[in-house]
Amino acid sequence: MRELLRDTYGYRELIWALALKELKIRYKRSVLGFLWALLNPLLFMVVLTFVFSTLMATNVPHYGVFIICALLPWTFFSQSLSYAAESIVGNADLIKKVRVAKLVFPVAAVVSNMINFLLSLIPLALIVLVMGHPFHLTWLYLPVPLLALTIFTLGATFFFAAANVYYRDVAHILQILLQVLFYVTPIIYRADMMPEKYRLLLKLNPMNYLINGFRLGVYDGMLPTWQSVFASFFCAFAMLYFGFSLFRKHQNEFVFYV
Amino acid sequence: MTTNPVAVSVENVTQRFRIIHERPDSLRELFAKFSRRKITHHDFEAVSDVSLEVRRGEMIGIVGRNGSGKSTLLKIIAGVYTPSSGRVTVNGTLAPLIELGAGMHTEMTGRENILLNGLLMGYSKHEMRQREQQIVDFADIGEFIDVPVKQYSSGMYMRLAFAVATEIDPEILVVDEILAVGDFAFQQKCFNRLRRFRESGKTILMVTHTMGPVIEYCNRAILIEKGRVVADGPPVEVVERYTGSSAVANEPVLVEAPTAHA
Repeated sequence: MRELLRDTYGYRELIWALALKELKIRYKRSVLGFLWALLNPLLFMVVLTFVFSTLMATNVPHYGVFIICALLPWTFFSQSLSYAAESIVGNADLIKKVRVAKLVFPVAAVVSNMINFLLSLIPLALIVLVMGHPFHLTWLYLPVPLLALTIFTLGATFFFAAANVYYRDVAHILQILLQVLFYVTPIIYRADMMPEKYRLLLKLNPMNYLINGFRLGVYDGMLPTWQSVFASFFCAFAMLYFGFSLFRKHQNEFVFYV
Repeated sequence: MTTNPVAVSVENVTQRFRIIHERPDSLRELFAKFSRRKITHHDFEAVSDVSLEVRRGEMIGIVGRNGSGKSTLLKIIAGVYTPSSGRVTVNGTLAPLIELGAGMHTEMTGRENILLNGLLMGYSKHEMRQREQQIVDFADIGEFIDVPVKQYSSGMYMRLAFAVATEIDPEILVVDEILAVGDFAFQQKCFNRLRRFRESGKTILMVTHTMGPVIEYCNRAILIEKGRVVADGPPVEVVERYTGSSAVANEPVLVEAPTAHA
């Protein structure tokens, strides 16, 4: 774990440059460029808000805000994973020719998606404003769940980036896993809408604790219980430990398989 | 600069590759393997028990036929490969760049690539900002420096790559086929730079298939055959032995000295 901190710090400039490169390429040759990072979530949110408050009215007030504040951290998580799974394989050219700490690639994938996530908080605030949902002071608490989610995401990206080097099917399996996880996590619905007999599933799902803090802070204006905070950080560090150990153990072999 | 007279020391290094005839690179094949299909493999030694010592200030040309293990050896020295056994010790900063242009991203401009390349090679943003102008001057590609690299001609691309690789000023430069660079004038510029590099006490290890420069610029040459060092000494002798053995094998070898000298 010390190695992770040391290399991330030592390569911080490279990681940052790679993350920016990633974003730059994503928005290359588009007239609006970086504005898309803002527009994309905004338009998506407008559609969601319209669908769920008009077409498919639910009894959850301000359903748009309700869903978006959980969807944004989820998008950060799932996009980071999708990018990171390809990060080692996709940089095969570099890895074969330059000696560089392999961890910079998955970390850069997470960083670039983090930038996207932070930018998307602007349209989120806009939606909250437009829908007349109160701005809770608990917004200030958001860095805490974000930290837990980032640690967890990093751990998962290390695992998938490494696994995909050996079996390219992993990237496909990941997409299916993400789909399943999306629906078993209370993102588009409330945790208490889940039938009693499936509550155990909720308790065992780390994403539940990780996403929960965002919704409580933005939508409910509440702070999570200390048990929930503890659970989220416990899952986060366990995932990081597991993912990074595996990554570290195999990183010197990647070059022979990419 | 480090004062140790030995720049690179390679001790009993062996690099084994597993050649898998049917590599299970998808789960389907993995299942197939478990069920009944036999997946065969054999170990292939690209580099076998190589030991050598590179002294500071040497310029070494590594020669040998395709597939003899030259590039693998270079990659081991540069730290791209972790050898199966043996030890490599490097004293001093080494540009871990095996091929010119590795790490260039075609969607980014030349200037952006200079920074990214420098960062990849372990330099800080600050150091790269200081060197940027020199690199731009040496590459000498005019306003193309602010154009995405994908619009470069292959010559311009190589000029920029060479400029970055040498201008960042490593103590040890390890390069694979550096001599296929740019037009005639630029090649002369490159050789002059390599010479100055060496004169300032730096170490150069290069793999090449062009024998002229090996004889003219290197002070030592190493011939590799089937992963082993079979000759190590003055360039003229080593090249003679190499071209002699290749002639027997009916492989044409380019033996020409650069026709003009700056």
